[in-house]
Amino acid sequence: MEIVDLSTLPDSEVRYTEFLRQICDKHEMDHAAYAGMNPAAGTVAGFVTYDDAWTEHYQNQGLIMVDPTIHMARRSIAPVDWSRLERSPDFQRVFRDASDFGLSNQGVTIPVRGPYGDIGLLSATRNCSKEEWRKLYTHVISDLQSMAVHIHDHVVSTDELTNALYHPTLSSREAEILQWVAAGKSQQDIGDILSISHRTVEVHLRSSREKLSALTTPQAVGRAIAIGLITPG
Amino acid sequence: MIIVVDGLNRHMFSEVLDEMFELRARVFGERLGWDVNIQDGKEIDEFDHLDPAYVIGLDDEGNVVAAVRALQTTGPHMLSDVFSAILCGEAPLRSATMWESTRFCVDTQRLTRGKDKNSVSYATCELMIGSLEYAKNAGIQDIITVIDPVMDRVLKRSNCAPYDYVGKTVPMGKVHALAALLDCTDERIAGLREFAGIRNDVFIDEDDALALFAAKKAAARAPANQDHKPLTDLEKYFVEQMSAATTEAERQDVLKLIEALSNTFTPEQKTALLQTPRAFAHEA
Repeated sequence: MEIVDLSTLPDSEVRYTEFLRQICDKHEMDHAAYAGMNPAAGTVAGFVTYDDAWTEHYQNQGLIMVDPTIHMARRSIAPVDWSRLERSPDFQRVFRDASDFGLSNQGVTIPVRGPYGDIGLLSATRNCSKEEWRKLYTHVISDLQSMAVHIHDHVVSTDELTNALYHPTLSSREAEILQWVAAGKSQQDIGDILSISHRTVEVHLRSSREKLSALTTPQAVGRAIAIGLITPG
Repeated sequence: MIIVVDGLNRHMFSEVLDEMFELRARVFGERLGWDVNIQDGKEIDEFDHLDPAYVIGLDDEGNVVAAVRALQTTGPHMLSDVFSAILCGEAPLRSATMWESTRFCVDTQRLTRGKDKNSVSYATCELMIGSLEYAKNAGIQDIITVIDPVMDRVLKRSNCAPYDYVGKTVPMGKVHALAALLDCTDERIAGLREFAGIRNDVFIDEDDALALFAAKKAAARAPANQDHKPLTDLEKYFVEQMSAATTEAERQDVLKLIEALSNTFTPEQKTALLQTPRAFAHEA
């Protein structure tokens, strides 16, 4: 199944949890969670697919203060497989409790760094054999990276100040390529027209989609037209 | 060997990082003449305070011989800031699956010419393989790297030509700088490995790296055979056994034998033999 772009889901707190559920369904994860910190707005956001019982326990015990999947993972630029945190006493503390609630200590946290010191953390967990986990990890990690940035950008831009700062700026090459897409050209055609490699076209489109907080190229084209970065057709 | 040092493990490898910052001072400050900030012989900039990841190449003794720094392109990085001249004022690429690599450097003083294990070419290829594999395992698809034209030629020669460039080549210090695009695909990594003849896993794990640095420090503290007395036959025998050992178990056996016969050595000889078999091997 395809994951629905966040901006098309009904505007409510529930949509982030719904988005996380879709990630779980698509990538065969048991649970997913997002935590975001936005120092410009002074806000912290959290969304989880966990049961209320665990969420309550986590809050009551103040586990967020020690949880290394938050405090350690944010210092990495790469996704942090939780096996890397195993030796930490804080990890033991959090996941001893977690296992009482039937949660696995096998998972990954993907750190996202935004332009204004904002940080987002997308975690996903799955109870399965180590080999199965390795395979799944390799298979889904690239897409999870994109999903992490997608949810983070959306959460951060719900803050008015940050939203104003987040105004997307396309380079002239990005705008040029998106304009050719709007004119109905394929990536191959665009590469030929501009005498650049197919991969260069792809990399610029990926960047444009992300700047416009879109998951698909047609959505990116629509938004770019809407805010006047390119012209229709 | 390649070790990745990031915000999670940098407290364990601060001396390695210092060595890398010193190498960067020599390369970017002196050799390339870039306008970089050097203090106490170390080149450190504001991006080093943002918990980047460093992919660091080590020689067999644990010396830093090559290094590069990686940052996410979704947040603050060099092309969005200090290298904006390369992009002619245009907005940089931003992607969850693209990292920026900067401060790529190799120790041309310590390394030799040619293609063998202690050469500039080998260290460069090993570092490239390490960075591409580290990125690929993190789900990264492309790297945008800021390099000088010499490095660009080295990449082309090493079966690792950039698939494109972004912006233009601008003067920087005694050289020029440009931004090149590299995909993190199996094909590119295989091409590099074939060129350099590197088939093994290039990464050294944290524990092995710590052991290597401990041995290096011990060797520096108490240089083996400091007074250059000729080695006794027994010492020579141990050195031979140590160099012939191919597994950790064999190495441990030699160490046990040294312990068992320890009353035939002076305390200094024993310490030297146990701590720095490599240094001894070097002199034998």
